[in-house]
Amino acid sequence: MSTIPDADTILAVDVGSVSTRASLFDVVDGHFRLIASGRAPSTVKAPLSDISEGVRMALDQVKAITGRKLLDDTDLLIMPVTSRGSGVDTFVATASAGPKVRTVLVGLMPGVSTESALRLADSTYLDLVGVIDLLDSRHESEKIDLILSARPDLILVVGGTDGGAQDSVLQLIELVAVASELISPNQRPRIVYAGNRNLGAAIADRMGERLDIALAPNVRPSLRVEDLGHARLALGEAIAEARNKRVHGFDELEQWSGGTMMLTADAYGRVIRYLSRIYDPAKGVLGVDVGATNTMIAAAFEGDLRLSVETNLGLGEPLPTLLRHSSLSDIARWLPYEISERAILDYIYNKSINPATVPTEEADLHLELALAREILRLSLKRARKRWPKGRDIKSTWLMPPVEPVIASGSVLARAPRPGYAALALLDALQPTGITTLVLDPHGLSPSLGAASGSVPMLTVHVLESGSFVSLGTVVAPVGSARMGRKVLSLHLELEQSSEDVVGEIRMGQLAVVPIRQGEHAHLTLRPERGIDVGFGGPGKAGALRIAGGAVGLIIDARGRPLVLAKEPDRRRELNKKWLYDIGAVV
Amino acid sequence: MSELFLSSMTQVIPITVIRRERVLPVPGAVLVRVNERLQAADIVAEAEIDPKHYYLDVARGLGVSAKDAGRHITCQKGDRVETGDVLAGPTGVPRRTVRAPAAGRIVGINRGRILLESFGQVLQIKAGFPGKVISSDGVQAVTIEAIGTLIQGVWGNGLQNYGVMRLVGDGPSSRLQTDQLDVNLRGAVLVAGICDHPAPFHQATELSVRGVILGGMSSELIPVARRLPYPVLLTEGFGEHPINAAAFNLFVSNVGREAAVDAGSAWPQPGQRPEAIIPQPTSRQVSHPDRVVTLKPGVRVRVLKPPYHGEVAVVKEILKRVETYPSGIRAKSVTIEIDGVGTKTVPLANIEILQ
Repeated sequence: MSTIPDADTILAVDVGSVSTRASLFDVVDGHFRLIASGRAPSTVKAPLSDISEGVRMALDQVKAITGRKLLDDTDLLIMPVTSRGSGVDTFVATASAGPKVRTVLVGLMPGVSTESALRLADSTYLDLVGVIDLLDSRHESEKIDLILSARPDLILVVGGTDGGAQDSVLQLIELVAVASELISPNQRPRIVYAGNRNLGAAIADRMGERLDIALAPNVRPSLRVEDLGHARLALGEAIAEARNKRVHGFDELEQWSGGTMMLTADAYGRVIRYLSRIYDPAKGVLGVDVGATNTMIAAAFEGDLRLSVETNLGLGEPLPTLLRHSSLSDIARWLPYEISERAILDYIYNKSINPATVPTEEADLHLELALAREILRLSLKRARKRWPKGRDIKSTWLMPPVEPVIASGSVLARAPRPGYAALALLDALQPTGITTLVLDPHGLSPSLGAASGSVPMLTVHVLESGSFVSLGTVVAPVGSARMGRKVLSLHLELEQSSEDVVGEIRMGQLAVVPIRQGEHAHLTLRPERGIDVGFGGPGKAGALRIAGGAVGLIIDARGRPLVLAKEPDRRRELNKKWLYDIGAVV
Repeated sequence: MSELFLSSMTQVIPITVIRRERVLPVPGAVLVRVNERLQAADIVAEAEIDPKHYYLDVARGLGVSAKDAGRHITCQKGDRVETGDVLAGPTGVPRRTVRAPAAGRIVGINRGRILLESFGQVLQIKAGFPGKVISSDGVQAVTIEAIGTLIQGVWGNGLQNYGVMRLVGDGPSSRLQTDQLDVNLRGAVLVAGICDHPAPFHQATELSVRGVILGGMSSELIPVARRLPYPVLLTEGFGEHPINAAAFNLFVSNVGREAAVDAGSAWPQPGQRPEAIIPQPTSRQVSHPDRVVTLKPGVRVRVLKPPYHGEVAVVKEILKRVETYPSGIRAKSVTIEIDGVGTKTVPLANIEILQ
């Protein structure tokens, strides 16, 4: 493949619920580089309810940085690039903003098609408000009432393998049709059917004229095969349609992008899956994104993507929902200073009212990072239920090996020092063995995913370019040992320096060896008996070449799982010490 | 650079044209006519919500084949029926019938099955404030217009009411206390500073107050506030936040007037905020509020985060450089002039436009 890309200049826009980002990529020395990025408040909500203004403000920022004219005098995108250097060659767009899509799931078998559909629903921006399946003991009349009272925007119907059950599926779809026809035409939900393929034509014949029904390939073509990809596309269209009904401006982006606009989650998943084919096949690639209204966890293992979108967990409007799953003391345990539970609660509700605000006081910063830890911890725990066997939470409580961890979200990206983000990620995700923490400070991942269809090498080029910030290599030994007992010895030979670092790490210790970005080192680890650092089993030693990062080499020997001190003062002291150890506070 | 919009704007306007749409969650009936003058308590639309459905299997009920069931059905779509009315049959020697399990309406007959919709609860929507009907679709939505003072808040407990406004305490940061609440406040809309204890709320219930407007309230009181029989409106947020100066001055100057407190509804319209509306008699031309206001020097803003949370200020300059704050965070910023405090720099993200 040629290293000289055909499309030189790429503009990517991602519309979030709080921020709209614009990123301009161009070719420098035969490689794509991020040239400029702009960020503006999203204008998705009232009074504007039109994303265009947020997009234009973000584009203005890109123009202000680069001097490049992107829009013509009528505010239309200039494409392709003109002889005077205005405009762009390729435009891609992603969006996660917009109202939630209330969805009722209707399936056949709880452990089979319904399970697949639930996995599908969990991987996108659906607000699941009801589930009906064949074993549901409620009377048909109650099921009709359930659909009506749920006031859904979308009904997802699955069931039957291809060539399998017919009558039961038809009964279910009949029930859905009866309920849907009771809803006034302007509020009637779209129905996406992704069940037994052989029934598609009959369903379209029977209901196509009366209802807004979309057919998608079966999510469960056979008992052993699951295919969520095609149904995801159909759901994406349904979500976009529901969004476009209530918010203006999306159609313009759709037009600019030539009809390739994607949901942010789908684009994000695409980039993580792509990376899992490049990195160590023995490990997975993990992507985590803490947004204002959603939290995404994307894990991919040799191309097998497990994407989870928590639509009720985020650092903005849905923040009070966190309290359904975590207590105030769960949040407070991550704080280095005492903050009363009442103040934490007030903060949560105020942040929910004003999600775009930033913490200017030190205590607020620690509180937001504590909230981010809890959101990530919960999201990961839920996401891991759907990971492949052996890596899922049923198989092991410990995090399976991943390489790298790519993290994004304003709370991490705007942290004043990289140590804050690194410690939050270590506390929340508790990686094991050896991994690399990478920060995506500009939130580029979805844009790279969206562009990967037309410009496949963009992701690799941008990842290598420094637009993603490596926080450092993490070594997290696993195994039980008494506090203070030696767990491993290390020998670090820096390639750019003749001075070696030799040392011992003890249980409970969080140690950092600074290795600057761009530098490399040869690391040899000799764990004690019973301690596993990921070299093939407990007690096994090994060596590897590691790259530097904003923090450096981080050895997290605090234990897996991480058990925090019960006594509050002691716990706060340790939290403070760890912030100091990792270089977050000086 | 084009105009700079902020994602958040709050309206605190001494006199303006206020238009609000009242929308039923499902189609029903609009009970008022265009140009009709309304009082706050007038019901403008009603609909039946959450009716119960009965999906009756005629074939099973009559003991006939599904194919034959259709010809035994004696009711028609749209029929109103009473409990026990025969819907299908009789058939056979035992004279089997299918009867209506509840009073209601036949909404569907298909493939030998009858769908009966019983009468649901009636949801009624009130005008909420005195005004004039300016448009209606006849079945679901009504738009009401009034001229008055508009004060938007940030949180409400989901109720609406209307009453004469009274000030409790001696300033915007005054704590609502039980000993301030006496029979003179019966049936009034109370304006106070902050509330951090449930007792004053319960005392106000005893006095049948029509609403409580506060700057801030402890978030621990949310469950209490949600159970109260009257609306609770917060202008600033949770914690010890006094009512902002702009809003407080308007409340003070309108004490004794009737105020409508809309502390949110179960069916909020997009962009609908909790608010207080104080109708004003006027014969002069009054303008509509601006739909959007762009940020520029001279614009009035409110600070959304400590250390100046709730302060009303005027923008002096939108800074081109980013500023660093005590937390270490670097953010695009703006300098503002806070009355009585002076010139301060705050993140752009931590202010909203106050119209």
